[in-house]
Amino acid sequence: MFTKILIANRGEIALRILRACRTLGIGAVVAYSEADRESLAAQLADEAICIGPADARHSYLSAPAIISAAVVTGCDAIHPGYGFLSEDEGFADVVRAHDLTFIGPPAEVLERFASKEATRRLLGSHGLPTIPGSGMLRDEAHAIGEAERVGYPVLIKPSAGGGGKGMRLVRTPRELESAFKVSRSEAKAAFGNDALYLEKYLDDNRHVEIQVAVDRFGNAVHMGDRDCSVQRRHQKVIEETPSPALSNAARKELAERAVRAIAAAGYENLGTLEFLLDAKGDAYFIEINCRVQVEHPITELCTGIDLVALQIKIAAGEPLGLTQADIVSTGHAIEFRILAEDPGKDFKPQGGQIGAYLAPGGPGVRMDSHIYPGYEVPPYYDSLLGKLSVWAPDRAQAIARADAALREMLVDGVMTNIELHRAILANQVFIDGKVTTNLLDRVGSAPFVAAGNR
Amino acid sequence: MPARQQNASVGRTGAQEALRVQRDHEAIGRLADDLLPALIAKLAASGLGEIEVREGGWKARLRKPAGADEARRLAARASAESHAARGLAPGRPAVSHGRGSEDRDARREDSEATAKTEPGLVAATSPAVGVYHPRRDLTVGTRVQAGDRIGWVDVLGVQQDVIVPVDGLIGSSLAEAGEAVEYGQRLVQLDPLERVDESGDPGAQGRPAVAGNA
Repeated sequence: MFTKILIANRGEIALRILRACRTLGIGAVVAYSEADRESLAAQLADEAICIGPADARHSYLSAPAIISAAVVTGCDAIHPGYGFLSEDEGFADVVRAHDLTFIGPPAEVLERFASKEATRRLLGSHGLPTIPGSGMLRDEAHAIGEAERVGYPVLIKPSAGGGGKGMRLVRTPRELESAFKVSRSEAKAAFGNDALYLEKYLDDNRHVEIQVAVDRFGNAVHMGDRDCSVQRRHQKVIEETPSPALSNAARKELAERAVRAIAAAGYENLGTLEFLLDAKGDAYFIEINCRVQVEHPITELCTGIDLVALQIKIAAGEPLGLTQADIVSTGHAIEFRILAEDPGKDFKPQGGQIGAYLAPGGPGVRMDSHIYPGYEVPPYYDSLLGKLSVWAPDRAQAIARADAALREMLVDGVMTNIELHRAILANQVFIDGKVTTNLLDRVGSAPFVAAGNR
Repeated sequence: MPARQQNASVGRTGAQEALRVQRDHEAIGRLADDLLPALIAKLAASGLGEIEVREGGWKARLRKPAGADEARRLAARASAESHAARGLAPGRPAVSHGRGSEDRDARREDSEATAKTEPGLVAATSPAVGVYHPRRDLTVGTRVQAGDRIGWVDVLGVQQDVIVPVDGLIGSSLAEAGEAVEYGQRLVQLDPLERVDESGDPGAQGRPAVAGNA
């Protein structure tokens, strides 16, 4: 096991990793940018080190700064969290070259799964249903030909990266023609890679993902599914487990197929396989996330497994220590991303100083947040203030607990989406478990916000 | 909303907080007066690379080769009485500060130390996280110009220059050769030239400025 881990991330996930280190009795050093000097993780850490200026390119995205910090503080491993360098195979490789361990999949595994298009083919060959799509697009004419074959509407997707950047929904050849160049330059700018492919777009789809863990010895387990269908512009807003869109039989089958395919494909460490569910309930694999997910707490609440600790153990070369039979998922859990943004102003991210802050409590309530009274929310990074997760024996009770917790939560000083969450909870489509990924964008958030204010 | 906010504020008793702050201060006092000098002597005399002691909720760790730095940091921490008060100001719900002052550890004291330096003195700071190497030919009082390179920080074998931000005189060193330094850390104090002139130091103008690169 490691003796000391450098936490190369910020916000709530830096704190989450710090907590896992303490639970495991491992030392931790929080690497922070100048803008995060006052962050809670940096304050609570036994050791913290400033790695660069606010600009993430020179701090959280700077491999030399992060590795140098790990070396001079005597760390033997680096936890990249999510985002930033968490799925960068080049970074993982350099970390290893400095005799440090990257906490995540080994570099060659990251490389194997780096291309979304190649991953889809690889896992398709191991028995996962994949969404109809194209190979890499050579040019516009090739794209138009492939779109005809797949059938409109189609999504243009960059092979690298995520977060909806460079992604375009097109319904006609004319739209495809104009969107192709834009997507290509956006992908180039965002990921340094302009490779694009096409995917059939499913109207009214749902997003369901399977959490898996694979150790170095090929032992593989799944921890059930998460439904992330409540999205705004391809960004997850609310996640829950188990998905209300799957029957228990379908859930079991999907999870088992996923874990079989990923083990056969030689994956290692924590991973999440994302699927789209069409209106008939058929699941299509879309992509894999080779990192700990933002929404991991709901799986932890239902299974009792500390996923970050497990991730660290796997990276240290330890066996999983549990079989599929050991993993029992009980009850229902829902996570709400608490964001510093103004729903009334098209969700514009908000900076500012936190005035009062009160985390909700009660049975089954968990708050993962790095904010505190007086904390200045830096304008340089994402707008995530924290995550409220609730657990209850069933979905109806989980919704009731979530609403009570959201009412109790107090975040002063910045605008947040707390009221939007309450409005979604009160919406009949959500109560019926029938939200599709396009719902918030289709109806707009105004009706939800208005309903929440009543 | 305002009513709830008030509840949150009075939720924790002021007495508890005051007691905690007082305990912290006592611990800091013991660390500074008794433990630290003894520890530093012990570490210097021994062949050990690192010593760690726990005192109440506090923990002190001294390590070579960054021993001198750690001592400076610890001393700065011990003297920074505002610590506990800053983190646990009365009237704020202390929701976030689970374990109180023990956790506010090695990172605070840089800013505390900065605040403690003499007003009016500027410093050359570290351009990166790495190992510090000062130029050997510079001594206190050497005149330097803005842009002069007065050392470098080794970042995984790559040298990053430590640059003087203003014309002035080299002051005392705030970090040792071979010490691990973080980004933005103050390395060498500088007495800006304007200030020297005002103080009427006749020697200042007479000293030659050092060349840009060693």
